[in-house]
Amino acid sequence: MNIVGEKTIRLAHGNGGRLMRELIDRVFARHFSELGPDKTLDASPFSLPTGVAITSVDAFTVQPLEFPGGDIGTLAVNGTVNDLAVSGARPHFLTLSAILEEGLEIAVLDRVVASLAAEARRTGVKIIAGDTKVVPRGHGGGIYFTTTGIGVRNTGVTLGLDRIQVGDAILVSGPIGDHGIAVMLARQEFDLHGNIRSDCAPVIDLAEAAAALGAHFMRDPTRGGLAGVVNEIASATGFGLRLDETCVPIRDEVRGVCEILGYDPYTLACEGRVVAIVAQTTAREVLAAWRDLAGGESAEIVGTVTNPPARVVLATSAGGERILPELEDEPLPRIC
Amino acid sequence: MTDQPDRARNWLDRIRKLPIDRPMRIMNVCGGHERTIAMAGLRSALPPQVQLIAGPGCPVCICPEEDIHDAIFLSLRAGVTVVAFGDMLRVPANLPKSQPRTLDQARAAGGHVRPIASPTDAIRIARDRPDQQIVFFAAGFETTTAPVAGMLAHELPPNLSILLSARLTWPAVAMLLDSDSPGFDGLIAPGHVAAVMGPEEWRFVSQRHGLASAIAGFSPDGLLSALHAVIMQLLEGRAALENRYERVVRPGGNPTARRLIDEMLDITEANWRGIGTIARSGFALKPHLVDRDARRKFEIESDSGRKRAGEMPVGCDCAKVVLGKIKPDQCRLYAKACTPREPVGPCMVSDEGACHIWWASGVRTQSSEPAAAA
Ligand code: SF4
Repeated sequence: MNIVGEKTIRLAHGNGGRLMRELIDRVFARHFSELGPDKTLDASPFSLPTGVAITSVDAFTVQPLEFPGGDIGTLAVNGTVNDLAVSGARPHFLTLSAILEEGLEIAVLDRVVASLAAEARRTGVKIIAGDTKVVPRGHGGGIYFTTTGIGVRNTGVTLGLDRIQVGDAILVSGPIGDHGIAVMLARQEFDLHGNIRSDCAPVIDLAEAAAALGAHFMRDPTRGGLAGVVNEIASATGFGLRLDETCVPIRDEVRGVCEILGYDPYTLACEGRVVAIVAQTTAREVLAAWRDLAGGESAEIVGTVTNPPARVVLATSAGGERILPELEDEPLPRIC
Repeated sequence: MTDQPDRARNWLDRIRKLPIDRPMRIMNVCGGHERTIAMAGLRSALPPQVQLIAGPGCPVCICPEEDIHDAIFLSLRAGVTVVAFGDMLRVPANLPKSQPRTLDQARAAGGHVRPIASPTDAIRIARDRPDQQIVFFAAGFETTTAPVAGMLAHELPPNLSILLSARLTWPAVAMLLDSDSPGFDGLIAPGHVAAVMGPEEWRFVSQRHGLASAIAGFSPDGLLSALHAVIMQLLEGRAALENRYERVVRPGGNPTARRLIDEMLDITEANWRGIGTIARSGFALKPHLVDRDARRKFEIESDSGRKRAGEMPVGCDCAKVVLGKIKPDQCRLYAKACTPREPVGPCMVSDEGACHIWWASGVRTQSSEPAAAA
């Protein structure tokens, strides 16, 4: 990939002139082709199927830009698409704002935009508007992306915190903490190595399967991890939640790194998992449906919703119990 | 990991079935043990007579205030980078609020500070930055000191020096046992320390003081097994040192590590923050390593006239927590003025600190139980 002799991003790539046009043509437009907006327009018209439109916005500042199992491009698609999916919506469109730092290698941008485009195709979303800015060297982390997602709620789906009831089951669609540890290891700040890959992936199929079976509530446990989601549910509903540690899927490698560095796997980010609250009577059905889907093979029922007080109790595998608090401080480098 | 939970439950059941008829105060002296206890929720699962007490198991908590003060000032010098284990970055020195009080704050104020996870990181950074003087602020117990001694045995980059703040664990326990009110009836001895230095170091607990003791590993089942051993000794009126971490702890410890420590380091009396001087409890660089000594290289002189040097921060009961005299949630500041987000004392900063461990395991309120007059 080459832009007439340029190897790195210059401030001029953001100035609205020839260089910027070339960058957009040869990186963004080339990878987006049929996905992308009409470059001749300043604003794009779009139409949606009938139903309730849902939107969500997220910014991505992950360091490093590329890590095992994904990069900032896959994250920018899945992070926003998954927010829509767990709200019971089918994602249709994304907008993309890119803030590039002077000095960024264009080859890196090219790779990341290529995987962003591939992930958009995989999830079936079109990119209907885009913007690029360049900031001076030292003022950004190479690439920042912001994506806005637009989708339509699937018919018949009613998800909400108000539907959660005492006795409901808590499900997780796969091992927790993979993304957090993969990114942390990729930063190479510590002399630690491992084969852990980020779980970064769309959860559209998982979310639709659970919603179709009448799930009461869903969330994707990104920043703050599983502990964040269950504590949010406890404080919003006033109910208690009880998790059984022996049932929570955590890879041995993730557990190992957590032990060495003193991290709590329950607070680590996931980027391709769903936490669902479902009626006890349908829990087995949702579990079976998930296990048949890609990314849901290791799903588990991990706990139940209990009477107040509003707190999360972890029944430990050793036979004790303790409160599972949410993440208080930021023990980890930025990972999303 | 598959059968470990079953083994833990098994030990728990065996302990629950014992005819425990009186309170048994059992101290652990390792942050790793305290974390296992708190994270596995063992206090809630054990019979109420069995009281688990967190003792001196946090090297960060007792790291002398002067050393932190010196590290902060070094990091603010032109051309000097201080590298330290992550925990040390947020431990406060007793400095006015207008000045950087932690290494983290020094970094925000333009100082050069980098967290590391092992001595090899320090060597790598020194090689990468030959233009900088790299000072490795090495605080820790025997387990972190052994790799530091190993590093000193190698050819090191000339720009790397050590600000050593290393301590031995057993002398603090000996000091407690020699005092009028040790406050415990049995001891869980630290597995990793014993693996390095040898289990023999801990014999004095049973032989000289007649206390029940066992060396434990760090999984819940390993810890419960050692706890069972201590409770059995107490019930049978015996005192011994049982090794319940035999897979890792061998007689004599790790000969290589001990040889390296012997060759590189002397044992001296040392200051413990908020507690005072304990005989034969500190490590110092041997005279032939004077070139590696950051205190010499940068001519650091401790300013004995500095107000409140060596003390814990105002209102902080860390010294009592470290010695097992009170529980973390009995400190008046716990969960009120002092939280991990805004820690007052080192015990709330460090991953090894009992206050931090209790908070991380979900204890978010103060104890209703008043602190015993110690
Ligand atoms: S709660 Fe804070 S102030 Fe109190 S002993 Fe612990 S660290 Fe010190």
